[in-house]
Amino acid sequence: MSLSLQNRHALEGHISGFSSFSNANHLSIVRGVAVISILVQPQRAEDARRALATIAESSARSCGPFEWLIVSETRSADSLLQEAISLDAASVDQSDGRVVMRIAGPDVRRILGKCVAVDLHPDSFAEGYSANLLIARIGANLARLAGDCFEIVVDRSNAVWLFEELVARGREFDLSAGFVG
Amino acid sequence: MASLIKCPHCGVRPREEFSVRGDASVVRPSPAASDEEWHRYVHIRENPRGPYREHWQHAAGCRRWLVVHRNNVTHEVYDVMDAATVAKEVAQ
Repeated sequence: MSLSLQNRHALEGHISGFSSFSNANHLSIVRGVAVISILVQPQRAEDARRALATIAESSARSCGPFEWLIVSETRSADSLLQEAISLDAASVDQSDGRVVMRIAGPDVRRILGKCVAVDLHPDSFAEGYSANLLIARIGANLARLAGDCFEIVVDRSNAVWLFEELVARGREFDLSAGFVG
Repeated sequence: MASLIKCPHCGVRPREEFSVRGDASVVRPSPAASDEEWHRYVHIRENPRGPYREHWQHAAGCRRWLVVHRNNVTHEVYDVMDAATVAKEVAQ
């Protein structure tokens, strides 16, 4: 029996009905992102941390002392995996298992502040910082990309819940939502 | 229960991110140890009042096992270390 599989985003169908324009506070669902998980042995963690920072067109998100997620919008998962092999790291393509959301705007900290229990002040959650934490009671990875721009990498199965929570908590700030990419 | 735990890898986090396994002071006996020793290791736990060392896992964060030294009366947290670091120190 042949199976016909369709590549469908986890939030397809959930996002329709929202306005197509973006307000000052906007939640973007990024499509077609390559996400690779990397795990190294403790004694190689420092070398890996330096090497991961040099992978072109990608960013490394910290998940723990020896674990990272490599996220890239432009490169393919295969090409990232090839680089991971040279690091002597255990690497797995997670692109189909994760959903990437980007939330940006002047009130982003007040919206995220309703979901997370960590300090999001710029001095504490610096640019480029990333960590695994609870967002709206589910585990996800939060990274600060720029001034008021945060990116969330969440398991596909939890994406709908998190999306709906973020939209509800952002309603008072006119948070809009839409796909990009 | 202490509501904020300073994870050595992630910084200050709420306790909802952690799961508690229990007493960190018990030492696994050798396989040839007597039934009484094994019974004590598997089933018998102290229930102290005051300072306590427990294994906590930062389940929603770095997923590392930690040894949390805290006071279960005052909820003061004295010290949090990675369980691997503690195990290395014990082995030395």
